[in-house]
Amino acid sequence: MTDEHRTPVSLSGLSSNDPRLQPAARNPELVERVISVCFIVGTLCLAGFGACYWIDAQAWKLGATLGGGLLFLGIGIVAWGKYLMPRGPFVEERHTLANSDADRQAFTASIVERGGSVVQRRKLLGGLLGGGMGIFGVVVMFPLLRSLGPLPKRTLQRTDWRSGSYVVDQSGRRVEVGDLAVGSIETVFPEGTENSDRGQAVDQTVLIRVSNEAFTTMQGRETWAPHGYVAYSKVCTHLGCPVGLYEQELQLLVCPCHQSMFNVTNGAVPQFGPAPRPLPQLPLYVDSSGFLRSQSDYHEAVGPGFWERS
Amino acid sequence: MSDVVNTERSKKLALGPYGRVGKSLNELDDRLGVARGGRTFMDKIFPDHWSFMLGEIALYSFLILLVTGVFLTLYFIPSSAIVTYHGSYAPLDGQKMTQAFASTVNLSFAVRGGLLMRQMHHWACDIFVGAIVIHMARVFFTGAFRKPRELNWIVGSTLLILAIVNGFLGYSLPDDLVSGTGIRIAYSIILSVPFVGTYLAFWIFGGNFPGTIIIPRFFILHCLIVPLVIIGLVSAHLFLLVRQKHTQFPGNGRTEKNVVGSPMFPVFMAKTTGFLFIVGGITALLGAFAQVNPIWQFGPYDAARISYAVQPDWYMGFLDGALRIWPSWSFHSWGHTIPFEVLIPAVVLPGLIFNFVFVWPMIERRFTKDHEIHNLLDRPSNVPLRTAVGVTMLSFLGMLFIASSTDVLAKFFNVSLNTVLVAMRYLTVIVPILAFPITYRICHEIQTLHGGGRRKTPNVVARSAEGEYTATPSPRYVDDVPSHLEATPVPTYIHEESEESGESGVRVVDR
Amino acid sequence: MTSPLIKRCLAVSIISLVGLGPVVLFVGGAQASYKVTPYQTSRKNAGTPNSTMVKKNSDGVIIAYGNSSITYRAPSAALVTLGDALFQQNCASCHGTQANGVPANGTAGAFPNLVGLGPATINFWVDSGRMPAANPRSIEASRRVPRLTHDQALAVSAWVNSLSPSYPDIPYPHLKNANVADGAALFALNCASCHTIEGDGDALAMSTFSPSLRKIPSIEVAEAIRTGPANMPRFTGNLSDAQVNDIVKYVTTEIQHPNNPGGFGLGGLGPVAEGFVGLAFGVGVLALAGFWVGERDD
Repeated sequence: MTDEHRTPVSLSGLSSNDPRLQPAARNPELVERVISVCFIVGTLCLAGFGACYWIDAQAWKLGATLGGGLLFLGIGIVAWGKYLMPRGPFVEERHTLANSDADRQAFTASIVERGGSVVQRRKLLGGLLGGGMGIFGVVVMFPLLRSLGPLPKRTLQRTDWRSGSYVVDQSGRRVEVGDLAVGSIETVFPEGTENSDRGQAVDQTVLIRVSNEAFTTMQGRETWAPHGYVAYSKVCTHLGCPVGLYEQELQLLVCPCHQSMFNVTNGAVPQFGPAPRPLPQLPLYVDSSGFLRSQSDYHEAVGPGFWERS
Repeated sequence: MSDVVNTERSKKLALGPYGRVGKSLNELDDRLGVARGGRTFMDKIFPDHWSFMLGEIALYSFLILLVTGVFLTLYFIPSSAIVTYHGSYAPLDGQKMTQAFASTVNLSFAVRGGLLMRQMHHWACDIFVGAIVIHMARVFFTGAFRKPRELNWIVGSTLLILAIVNGFLGYSLPDDLVSGTGIRIAYSIILSVPFVGTYLAFWIFGGNFPGTIIIPRFFILHCLIVPLVIIGLVSAHLFLLVRQKHTQFPGNGRTEKNVVGSPMFPVFMAKTTGFLFIVGGITALLGAFAQVNPIWQFGPYDAARISYAVQPDWYMGFLDGALRIWPSWSFHSWGHTIPFEVLIPAVVLPGLIFNFVFVWPMIERRFTKDHEIHNLLDRPSNVPLRTAVGVTMLSFLGMLFIASSTDVLAKFFNVSLNTVLVAMRYLTVIVPILAFPITYRICHEIQTLHGGGRRKTPNVVARSAEGEYTATPSPRYVDDVPSHLEATPVPTYIHEESEESGESGVRVVDR
Repeated sequence: MTSPLIKRCLAVSIISLVGLGPVVLFVGGAQASYKVTPYQTSRKNAGTPNSTMVKKNSDGVIIAYGNSSITYRAPSAALVTLGDALFQQNCASCHGTQANGVPANGTAGAFPNLVGLGPATINFWVDSGRMPAANPRSIEASRRVPRLTHDQALAVSAWVNSLSPSYPDIPYPHLKNANVADGAALFALNCASCHTIEGDGDALAMSTFSPSLRKIPSIEVAEAIRTGPANMPRFTGNLSDAQVNDIVKYVTTEIQHPNNPGGFGLGGLGPVAEGFVGLAFGVGVLALAGFWVGERDD
């Protein structure tokens, strides 16, 4: 094409032998043959998809035939449009979106002048209506928000661990003092909650045996870990993931989500990572039958931080 | 003509020059008045630069999401009621799980074509968000958001947010171990908001975590509310595009006042329909050969269980990365806690980023004081400041994405996990800061370079009998001789004649 | 082309880096430095509960115990002499000639004391190739091609056990009696937090890591669970033999021969790998397709 024929031209009033209406391909017959092959392969693939579905073939066969069929058909259609249809280029004028000044003025006038007359003369009505709509906007949110769920009250501040709760594993079996060897870890719950959602989410506790004798993690907690059984809340203080990853030589509890690392021997103080507070420790005791039980609830709220957490 | 009026020929003549088709269209025009608008529409010119196809990838993957999604809704049961699974997958046989999870396992194994539909749906979503991002990047770097298209930029940015949110809601529906952990994290993020966090969390979830209402609520949001909003916004997006006409790059015959390209019918329709099929085909092939979200291997969600190496889907990765690298800045005084280590990376940071994206057209207008209408695009290298800002933002987000895979990096490169995390903290600050001046510099260099950033035309280099080299541009086709092409100039470090060497044919090369 | 603007940008970059960097990165939070002090753990009640069958030899020494889920067998006494020789050859340079962690140069406590750890522990380390250690100073030994054969490993564990007989003995799980669904649930609760739910292992704190479970024989899985090697916690009374058997079956069937009906498993890396594939093969290929469909400038 010469320079003249590379100039974009408008579609209307084009003579039928204008080179811009010719196909883009230099060898349209060859391209047509290639496209036919694409269509045939695509159709066969889609027929294959139907057949695969009929015989309940594996998922990958269904997908391969469907994908191949769509792909070949698509390639053929694009090639048709790109190589066999009028090559162009064509041009079209943009019309300014903005209307004339007279139109704009008339439009603005219709709003301002007519609206102005309403507002200026009936200010009191406008104000009262505005107030009503404002109140409506506020109270319509009440059912949309408040009915969704209960008030938090003090739910987040406590768990189901009580004074004397039996420590049980997820099958409900009570943990005895001889159960774990040093270096063992178990996920435990207060008896009765091991199958409930709340038990799993809030009460979950990791029980780790760090020694054979009573263990002190921090000052004031001398009686909390009888026979070396240390219990920490399993709910990470960062974002609430279960901190189940225990490395017994490093004595670290690592949270699998964002890799906060808690030191098991000194009260689960975070050594690394984004967690801001130590995991709360559950005070335990061993009763006369050798079962592990909790002395009380956790001394602070478990899990991630929130505004009311003191 | 004969007396008989009902011959075939006369019937044909009565139909007019375009036959039956013409008659039908005339009937349509009688009822709807579509003739003039239809002709305008058929003649509509679309610029067909390849970078304008990126938005179509997003549009067509959204169509695939709708079609596959409808299929999935016919089998998925959005309920947290506990059932016992008895099916073909042995490791779950006899286990208790929510009905949502059980119906998804059933969909994967017992419904013919179910696994393919699930995987196509998931891959289409990954592609959808990815295509929106690169389409947005194209719009940003070429300045297509300028007047009169600021509104379309805001619509598009909203679509990005909705796509990301809907993706999160969607992959959380099966209630499996991996996505359930994500829901737990989302709960804690809502909790962290000062004053109202606990109320919002309890209201959205119907109580303490996990509750039983969140899966049905996610279902309604994911299948009804958000898709309706997306469909509405996509329609607005396309309407604005058609009304304002597409932008185009400057070049041969293109001005601010015209559009150069191919007509809607038949060329553009053919290309775009073909592209729809190609997008569908690639999605189906991915769904066939690349396993995604194998929830049966993860097992049902249990609040006491967790897997290591759990990341959200890629488009949420920037949040996960920010949460991992942020130091533990908790505020705890006077009986209240503000968990800044959660609030800043998960609430404040995305808020700042998206607000910045939304108001960028306004920011740029204030700095450039440019209130003109722009229908011609910029070459990114011609606007170094905007390009540098864009690359900085993208590199910052990119570093946050990489930061979400610290454990995978530590495993792959065999370094300590702690070292990787500390390194990511540094890199997330350093890399974007370095990206700005480097990009700025590169843009300027491209501007000064002759023909920089443009496709180079090959030259035919001829040597005359006297030894002079001439370069003439070589066209693609023999009969295609564009006059506006320029030959790349002959390198200047080859001297034509040298004083020192009297022999002919010897060149002194100056390095 | 160093315009004043670029100079200003560079200056701002450097100042913000130097000034804000330390503030942003390190202020706040509990970031105490931490010293690694691994210490020897003692053994108790490992592997003996729920034993319905106990077999003793003529001297009254227990040589096997167990139940329908797992049978624990002590290595044959005939292997002790061979084990002694092998130990002196391969292990004594670090663990000492008496296997008490005191090597020839006399520095006590430099390497672990192996006395009283039970045959299963010793067999695990040697049979998986972790011992003899490739790098005695590394924080965690990796699985390698074993230097000693199965029988040689048994012999070594027989000799070390003879110094101070202890438990657990080598576990032989009866996988036919195991329930893979229970195993899946137990795996998700107890094992996935380190080994990942797909069993591929990953990098853990500091330079430790959890190994991949894809190529581990069933005896080794049971040994690891019962003895808790290195940083792995041990599961003694908190998992019954039936439960350990279930986990072993789950690992050796589903983890090691995963049913991937959806196509390539993408390395079990989860959404990270999926993101790469989706962006590269999905968006990337489609962008290339768009490059073909559309035009380029002239």
